[in-house]
Amino acid sequence: MSDIFDIVIIGAGPAGMSAALEAAQQGASVAVLDRKATPGGQIYRDVTQSPLLDPSVLGSEYTEGAELVEAFMEADIDRHQNADVWHIGETGEVLYSQDNQTRRLVARELIISPGAMERPFPIEGWHLPGVMTAGSAQVMLKSDGMVKDGAIFAGTGPLLYLIVAQYLRLGVTVNAVVDTTPAGGVVRAMQYIGGALRKPAYLIKGLMLLNEIHRAGVPIFRHASNLSVLGESKSVGLQFEQDGRTHSVNADHIFLHQGVIPNLNMTRALGIEHHWAEQQLCWTPTLDDWGQSSIPHIAVVGDAAGIQGAEAARHAGRLAALKAMNKLGKLSEASLQQQSSDHLRAMKSFKAFRSFLDAYYAPTPEHRIPAASNTLACRCEEQTMGQLRAGFEQGAKDPNALKALTRCGMGPCQGRQCGHTVSELLAVWQNKPVSDIGYYRLRSPQRLLSVDELSQFQNIKPAKKPAEVSA
Amino acid sequence: MFRSLRKPETQSVSININGQMVQVAEGSSLWAAMALHGETQTRLALVSGQQRSAYCAMGVCFECLVEVNGVPNQQACLTTVEEGMHVCSQDLTEQSIAALHQKESADHE
Amino acid sequence: MNFDAIIIGGGIHGSATAYYLSKAGMKTLVLEKDYVGRHASGVNAGGVRLLGRDFAEVPLSKEAMSRWQTLDDELEGDTGFRRRSLINIAIDDADMSTIKTRITKLTGLGYDHEIQIDQQELRERLPHAAHNCVGGVVSEQDGYAIPYKATSAFRRAAERFGATFHEGETLANLRQIGDAWQVRTDKASYDTGTLINCSGAWADKTAMMMGDNTPLSYSAPMLMITARMPHFAGPVVGAISRQLSFKQFENGTVLIGGGAKGFADRDNNRTTLDYKKLALAAETTKTFFPIMKTAVINRMWAGLEAYMPDNLPVIGAGVNARNAYHAFGFSAHGFQLGPVVGDVLAQLITTGKTSFDLNPFRIDRFERKVL
Repeated sequence: MSDIFDIVIIGAGPAGMSAALEAAQQGASVAVLDRKATPGGQIYRDVTQSPLLDPSVLGSEYTEGAELVEAFMEADIDRHQNADVWHIGETGEVLYSQDNQTRRLVARELIISPGAMERPFPIEGWHLPGVMTAGSAQVMLKSDGMVKDGAIFAGTGPLLYLIVAQYLRLGVTVNAVVDTTPAGGVVRAMQYIGGALRKPAYLIKGLMLLNEIHRAGVPIFRHASNLSVLGESKSVGLQFEQDGRTHSVNADHIFLHQGVIPNLNMTRALGIEHHWAEQQLCWTPTLDDWGQSSIPHIAVVGDAAGIQGAEAARHAGRLAALKAMNKLGKLSEASLQQQSSDHLRAMKSFKAFRSFLDAYYAPTPEHRIPAASNTLACRCEEQTMGQLRAGFEQGAKDPNALKALTRCGMGPCQGRQCGHTVSELLAVWQNKPVSDIGYYRLRSPQRLLSVDELSQFQNIKPAKKPAEVSA
Repeated sequence: MFRSLRKPETQSVSININGQMVQVAEGSSLWAAMALHGETQTRLALVSGQQRSAYCAMGVCFECLVEVNGVPNQQACLTTVEEGMHVCSQDLTEQSIAALHQKESADHE
Repeated sequence: MNFDAIIIGGGIHGSATAYYLSKAGMKTLVLEKDYVGRHASGVNAGGVRLLGRDFAEVPLSKEAMSRWQTLDDELEGDTGFRRRSLINIAIDDADMSTIKTRITKLTGLGYDHEIQIDQQELRERLPHAAHNCVGGVVSEQDGYAIPYKATSAFRRAAERFGATFHEGETLANLRQIGDAWQVRTDKASYDTGTLINCSGAWADKTAMMMGDNTPLSYSAPMLMITARMPHFAGPVVGAISRQLSFKQFENGTVLIGGGAKGFADRDNNRTTLDYKKLALAAETTKTFFPIMKTAVINRMWAGLEAYMPDNLPVIGAGVNARNAYHAFGFSAHGFQLGPVVGDVLAQLITTGKTSFDLNPFRIDRFERKVL
């Protein structure tokens, strides 16, 4: 077995697993590199080995992932778990860490699906211990069966209600839901109602979740604004406004959420072309319907390609795999078109539905673009909005110039938690569209890489053999 | 306090968290193991030295950096516990001074 | 629009020249195709080094070094300069005798800024260095600055004296009409009495438009920086016979250089990295400083830098046109010279002379040589 593959897939979430299955089915040699110990991505995290006695409380959208994971485990695919990719070369060389060693393999075609991350929520006190994201609550629940009683859930977006409902089903107490979805969401989203009606089941599910939370007697504060976390050295509560009145609710733990955005450090480091997606208010790789990026041998699929959700990701993965087979000369143009058509149609209807969701749950500017000068924009380097403003006034009008002047974005998270904030702040300050501002220039490594590991690069290891992989 | 809803039959491993030997479920993330034992402080803020704790639990915020087996800057949320693992909250800030290890120096005589 | 002087390139030399010219009362415009400090001037290793300079550069470098000590006051800004000393480590007797020979030569020329140190003194100054290091050479005034901040401090000081900076404006064409220049960009057209080429890795193109050919090449020197480490090295560190080069900044991060080059794609403003060479730098660093074994690399990058065949810059008047000046080709060690080169050019432009011998830096010095 050589370390050169027809198709290398990065990320074993629904998009990556589907791409791998399609590619393997079509007869390609396929390797999948995934950072976690088990496949599934964030959405199907540990779905086949849940720590919970009854994983069905997590909902059918979760449990139905088991079938995909099982199919993925059985297919003729080189699976590499705990494989943390830190560099992808323009030639198709992939470098990844596994057991503190860098290993390497080479792809003729690359399909990358680094997934999504939660949108930064830069409000006063969001850096304090006790403040986490709603996504983290779900991760901890799925992977470790770990929960926190008496927390506040604050923000907007479907995931927020889902995790609260999951908590309640498991008997975990919830102090309050502070919902920042602004009034008039339905009116805003009405123009996309056609798209929503194509997926009535999802709409009904959303309403049922809210109803479930309401019936459990959890206080829900609707249309809340102006959030700030209370506390000096750790969270002691949340303050917010509702109908012109200031409220504060005590809690030593707060889960924040205002939707998800593509996790773009990998696609940015590759130099793939991106654009600012107005509808989703985030940077997104510029791709065609098959996920093909501006680099000929690289496709991007799943939520990293723009937030579409798990079901759409499965179709996107299949499409990218079909296109890769076509590029490899193993699938004719006619077969590509024919085998793609159902997936393309499905993608279209998910996109229409997403337009409705995006409009309904659009995160408000005040929770994306900090206005208070002492709010941290960059958590790692502890740069406040006021310090960034000072840097801007000293002439740093580009995200990279601002980074060089203030160290904002230079810390260990490599800009993941401040990049969008900085793009939007600079746009507001210059009264320009965000698309004119741009983003940090990112490079490999895409995560911290030990000097010790890098220094052994001279004797770089090939990918583990399949026998070692399955162990 | 965080609590666990993990099914009872899970195997456990022992690890050392900030000097205390504890039993944790096999396959746990290091962050979960720490949090379930009340050790929620991961690192210090690099400039102000204030306490920090995990934020995203999925590898994108780098707030949960801890020292694992003497090596700092490991993401607790992405690390799986292993028998005998030694974990410490990380107290590194930009004011920290390196201790001079006589043994390390002696190794290079 | 009319200017007394137009500078092509908003790096440290362009910005510093703008500062000294506008301070001397000249109406100055800087044209920068990207943003000020975008390339080598903003992303270099920040070394402020007099130690080990080519003999031809020592007079300029010495003058620059004394200016760095008070540059923040002069510019009313923050360059991030810290005087830390720079030590080049010797690992054997051959290294020690290399040091001795050089110091003897420097002494003969009247310079006393490089001082040899023995093993004991090395251990006192760098207690974390591996114990097989036998000594070294130190220059006390050396240190580091923060490249983007320093470039930006010159720019703001220049603006206080009335200089204008146009960012995102690319030079398209130059014409000498009589003694004056017409400068056309992708956005506008300007007239100026004096033209100065500070175009860094693009300086050969500007020089050609000015009528001067130059054998410039460009490359992508690579750097990497760690997440914060406990403080273990005060001085900036290099080595006599190894590619060791790092500094630990005040904030604890460690910047590792060493001169290894990646790949430069000048037309697209892009560089790519050569990990094998970076790995070698990592290996060298941890061999000399075992504490670095536990360091983690946070970022790696490379800048686009201009190199001359003799690794000496071009500084001085153009030869084929009037009222034309150059300052480029610093070959990865021009940052420290920032505070002096701009002033030398300003003196040349305003008085026609300078006290420094610029012959080694003439643009036509390669004309009679076979390269």
